[in-house]
Parts: sequence; C-alpha cells; structure tokens
Amino acid sequence: MTDHTDINNVPEAVAVPKKRMRFSVVWIIPIVAAIVAVGIAVQQILSKGPTINIVFKEAEGIEAGKTFVKHKDVKIGQVTKVKLTKDFTHVVVTASIDKSAAGLIVEDTKFYIEQPRVSLSGISGLGTLMSGNYIGIEVGKSTKAHYEFIGLEVPPPISIEEPGRRFILEADNLGSVGIGSPLYYRRLNVGQVIGYDLAENGRSVTIKVFVKAPYDKYVTADTRFWQASGVDVSLGADGLSVRTQSALSVLIGGIAFETFGSFGDVKPAAEKAVFNLYGNRTEAAAKIEEVVTPYVLRFKEGLRGLSVGAPVTYLGFPIGEVTSVRLEGDMMTGDIHPRVDIVIYLGRFVRHMKKVDTAKEMGMSLQERRPTVQRLVDRGLRAQLKSGSLVTGQLYVAFDLHKDAPRVKIDFTKSPPELPTVPSGLADLQEKLQSILARLEGLLKRADEEVVPEAKKTLEELRGVLKSVDTTVVGKDAPMQQDLRETLQEINRAAQAVRGLTESLERNPDAIIRGKTQEKP
Amino acid sequence: MRAGVLTGIRLGLVSCESCGLLSRPLRVAEPGHCPRCGEELELRRHNAIQRTWALIIAAFICYIPANVLPVMVSNTLVSTEDDTILSGVVLLYETGSWPLALIVLIASVMIPLAKLSALAYLLITVQRRSIEGQNDRIRLYRIVEFVGRWSMLDVFVIAFTVALIQLQPLMSVEPGYGVLFFAAVVVLTMIAAETFDPRSIWDSSNE
Repeated sequence: MTDHTDINNVPEAVAVPKKRMRFSVVWIIPIVAAIVAVGIAVQQILSKGPTINIVFKEAEGIEAGKTFVKHKDVKIGQVTKVKLTKDFTHVVVTASIDKSAAGLIVEDTKFYIEQPRVSLSGISGLGTLMSGNYIGIEVGKSTKAHYEFIGLEVPPPISIEEPGRRFILEADNLGSVGIGSPLYYRRLNVGQVIGYDLAENGRSVTIKVFVKAPYDKYVTADTRFWQASGVDVSLGADGLSVRTQSALSVLIGGIAFETFGSFGDVKPAAEKAVFNLYGNRTEAAAKIEEVVTPYVLRFKEGLRGLSVGAPVTYLGFPIGEVTSVRLEGDMMTGDIHPRVDIVIYLGRFVRHMKKVDTAKEMGMSLQERRPTVQRLVDRGLRAQLKSGSLVTGQLYVAFDLHKDAPRVKIDFTKSPPELPTVPSGLADLQEKLQSILARLEGLLKRADEEVVPEAKKTLEELRGVLKSVDTTVVGKDAPMQQDLRETLQEINRAAQAVRGLTESLERNPDAIIRGKTQEKP
Repeated sequence: MRAGVLTGIRLGLVSCESCGLLSRPLRVAEPGHCPRCGEELELRRHNAIQRTWALIIAAFICYIPANVLPVMVSNTLVSTEDDTILSGVVLLYETGSWPLALIVLIASVMIPLAKLSALAYLLITVQRRSIEGQNDRIRLYRIVEFVGRWSMLDVFVIAFTVALIQLQPLMSVEPGYGVLFFAAVVVLTMIAAETFDPRSIWDSSNE
C-alpha cells in the first residue's frame, strides 16, 4: 500500500483478546432442531398403541379416520381402516388404540358399535345422533393382550364393572322376557335380563339375569324367581285370576323374585347360581312348602279337565296340588288306567286348624303321621274329582268324608302310598242315570211281554160291553130312547107355559097380586 | 463485476457495519472493534458461511415435521380432524378451489423449499469460489430476502383461525405441532438469509 497521510491518520483498531472457536455456536440451532424433531418422531412412535382388527357384521356409520373407539365416553383410539373380509361377508375395522389404553385391549374385551337404539328398557346412544357412531368397548378381565376381535352386534347390557351378581334361570319358555327386561324385587327395579339361550337339548330356556348391588344380597338359595310378564290371566279350577307386576312390565315383561318364608339371615346365593323360573307368583310361592307328602290316586274315570297344578282340597280347604296326570298299567293285559300324583302340603293343612301345635305337627315324620292318615281313611276319607267350574270344565281333587265307604287299608310300604278314591259326583250321576235307564228298559220289556196281551183281552171285552150299550141305550127304537123323547116333549110344553106366564106378567105386572083381569075392550 | 476493482480489503481497510466508519483492521484475522461505535469489525460477516449452513440445515430439519405433523386440529362435535399443510392443499383441491390450493401449495410448501435451496446454492457457489453468474446470484439473494417476510402468512392465518374459532363445544380449532416447525422454518430461513454475506459472492473474483 502507500504512506498516504490520510491513511496514516486513520486510527488504529483496539485489540480485544478473544477466544476463537473452531465451530460456530450457531450449530446448536440445527442440533436443537434435530433433537426436537427426532424427539417428536420418537414420541409419536412410542405413543402409538396397538393396532387391532375387529370383525363386524356391518360397519354402520363407521368411517376411517372419523370414528373413534371409546371407553366410558373417552376416546381411546381411532378407526384407521374399514374394509371387507376376503369373502365379502363381514367387515374388518382396523383401529389404532392409544398407548395409554393398550391395557384395555385384552383377550375377552368386547367391541360393539354404539348407535342410537330403542330397546325394551329405553333409548340409548342418543349422543351418537350428534357425534356419529363410535365403537364402544366392554373391557375384559383377562390380562393377555389380543389384537383380533369379533364385534358384538348389540352392546352388552351390563358393564362388567357394575357391581352386582349374575344368576341363571331355567324356564320352560321365554315368555315375554327379552334382553333388558327388568327384574323386580318387591316391585323395585333391581336388575335386568342380560341374555337368554336355548338349552342344548332344546327343551328349556336359560335366562341370564343381573341383579344390581346391593339388591343382589336378597337373592338367597331359597329365592324364587317368576315371570312377571305382562298381564297374567289364568283361568284355572280356582277361577279367573288376573295379576300384573308394574305398568312397565305389563308392556315389556319382566321377572320378579322374592324369598318366601325366609328363615333369619341366609347367605346370599353364589354368582351364577341356577334357579328355576316359575310361571307366576303363586306357583313360585307354592313350591316353598317345607313338608310335602306325595300320594298317588287312581281313578276309574276319564281325567279330562284335570291339569297339573290343579288344587287338592280337604273339605274345601286347599291343602295340596296335582303334580302329574298320566296313564299307567300293563300293556300286556291292557289294564291301563289314569294315575294322578298329588302332593299334600302339611303346612297348609295345619294352618287351617285351630289350636294345634304347629311346630310339633310339622316336626313329625312321615311314619309318625301314618296312623292319622289311616284314621282319616277309616272315617271315610276319599278322593273325588270335582268340577271347579262348569264353564271351563276344569277339575280338581277333593277329599271328603264318605261315611258309607268301605274300609280300606293304606299300603304305606309303597312310595308314594295310594289313597282310595270314589267316582266323582258327575260320574256317579252318570252311573245312576244309566241304571235308571236300564231299569226303565226292563220295565218296558216286561210291559211288552205281560201287559200287552192282557190289555188286548180287556179291550175285546170292552168292545162287547159297548155294543150292548149301543142296542139298549143308543138305538133308534131303544126303550130308553122313547122315554127320553117323551120327557123332552113334556119339558117343551112346560117351557111354553112358562113363557105365556112371563108374557102376561110383563103386560100386567099387578096380575101377580090381583089375579088375571079381563082385558078391556 | 470487473476484476481488479479497488475494495476495502485490498486497501487493508474495513468499514463498520453499523456506523459505516472506515478503519484499519488490527489484523486481517481479527480486525478488532470500531473505534467510533464499538461494534466488532469484520472484513466479512463473521463465520457467515458456517452460520448460514447451520441455519439452513436447521431449517431443513424443521421442514420435515412442518409438513408431516398437523398444523391445525379442528374439533367438531362429530369428529376431530388433523390437517397437515399438504392435506389442506388436497382438501382445497378436492373441494374444487384449485386456485387456492395452488396458492397454498406455492406459498407454504414450495417457497420455503425454494428459499432453502437457493441459499444452499449460494453458499455452495461461494465456497467453490465460482465467478460465474454473480449478478444472477445477487438477484436470487434479493428475491430470497424479499420473499422471507411474506412466508409467515400461514402462521398468521392459523393463529387467527385458532383465536376466532373457539365455539366450544360445537367446534374448536387448535394449532398442531406442525405450525411451530413451520414458523421455525420461516424464521430460520430469514435469519440464514440475513447471515449470508452477499459480498462474499464477489470475493473469489477479487483475489
């Protein structure tokens, strides 16, 4: 350069000692950016929970990217893909579940599509009208993770977490019970029907019910369940009876339960205990009698109108019921006759009696009671079929004392022992009518054989008599006839005289006092 | 530019970048501080190439999540939707407003990428001491600097949308992580453009 004064006059810079770095601090920026980006990527990968496949019959309202998987209305995942199965019969819904909820996806977890539903017990899922359908889950109890599921068609009615217990009822038929039908305890809604199924042999129905806590403790081993479905109209031997549970159950059916004659505190029944489901309350309550004595009755007459459950009465008091009506006998000899099994509830018998030591009576064993039964039979105790209602023709079994009945010894060695019967009033009547007719027939026959020839002879004689009467009395020249004619002429003349008298009296009434006067010219 | 032109460096002089005072540097490596205003003197912007590279690389890194992560999360009663920039473009295109889609595509996807590429190109040519197309390169640099300030448009739009659409519980819009990265891309690119010393474009021709 040059020694130009101007340049020399330029002041010199001040030296400030400073450490130089090989790499600029600025490199921190890309490093931080990279760390943040990688961090987010890692977080995204780590937070990605399991991906599950659920097979549904149809994917109603399910859309990839828009439908959520929800548990307790909290979003725990999202549907990522919806496609058909290879055979086009079902739908596979793929959903990614949040990592935090991965613990919920276990073997026995159940999935269902939540949508608006109108069911027996009300309307559910109204929220989905606004938010769209979602996949609900019912968390299982298993701890094993699982990723392939088959979706339920309807949501399980009771959450697994709801406190309470499940019981199984066995019934002949489902009645008007459906899933969601209420369960009543003293007319309180305490649970519902959660499922039903046909028994494997197809002969009965098993109904699963759920009883909410704390009411589940009222279900004990002695508890009876019965159909409280709708209106229970029964037309039995004891007449027409109508029972209903609640207005709701009239519409949608239901099941009620009660523990009849509970004795102190009984342990609640175990989970999934099996109970019988009775047709109605009476039936359920009846079966609770503690002392039940079975007997057999054999009738000689037809049992049309006698049904199982028909009452058995003693002098009009109900003391038991018919348990079965069937035929028995020897096929070879052809001696087949109806057999009726009945049970006598001692409890009811005793209840009707005044001044009796109930406890003592109830405590007696069957053997101890035998003499009593024999004494009754000795006094004429006989079973008889009676018509409970003329309209329906329903029969019931009545025990009455028939004084003139022949003595019968009860064979207590047989089980159940047989009690003697007498033909029913109706059959009796029929028999009597028949004997009357038979006698009438005999009578007629005798009349035919003995009375008729005699009568013929008598009639001939009668004819002779009549003939003689004809000649003596009725003939033209019969003396009686002539006399009669003369008499009549006499009478005629007399009548004329009387007429003349009356005419003159009319004209001159005073003639009766003054006598006949001369007529004035 | 013509070679052999008189420059401050040739004369052993350095001008202060803040007050413009011309001074003689102590040493070429460490020119010292401005005697008038105290600003650190630099013959060329200090570590300009390295810094610019760092910023560009940071911007590139941020560019990936900016496009992958959602920029906007719209919650409605019916659903929750995550929108990335590209899905927004696709949505706009599918709903028929392709001019808008084009604008968004250019402004939010292509321009940041173009800026980064342009800066990278400038840096590479400077490092390779290329003497070709210096005028074109300075024009490119000016464009990059000019466009930079408009790139925050997306961020503004999202900020406004988020603030305005808060109709809980019917609908609400929340910013996604993507928008942070997008803003970072824009800011880093602007700083990078600022850090780049355009004088270095001609340095190679002056030697």
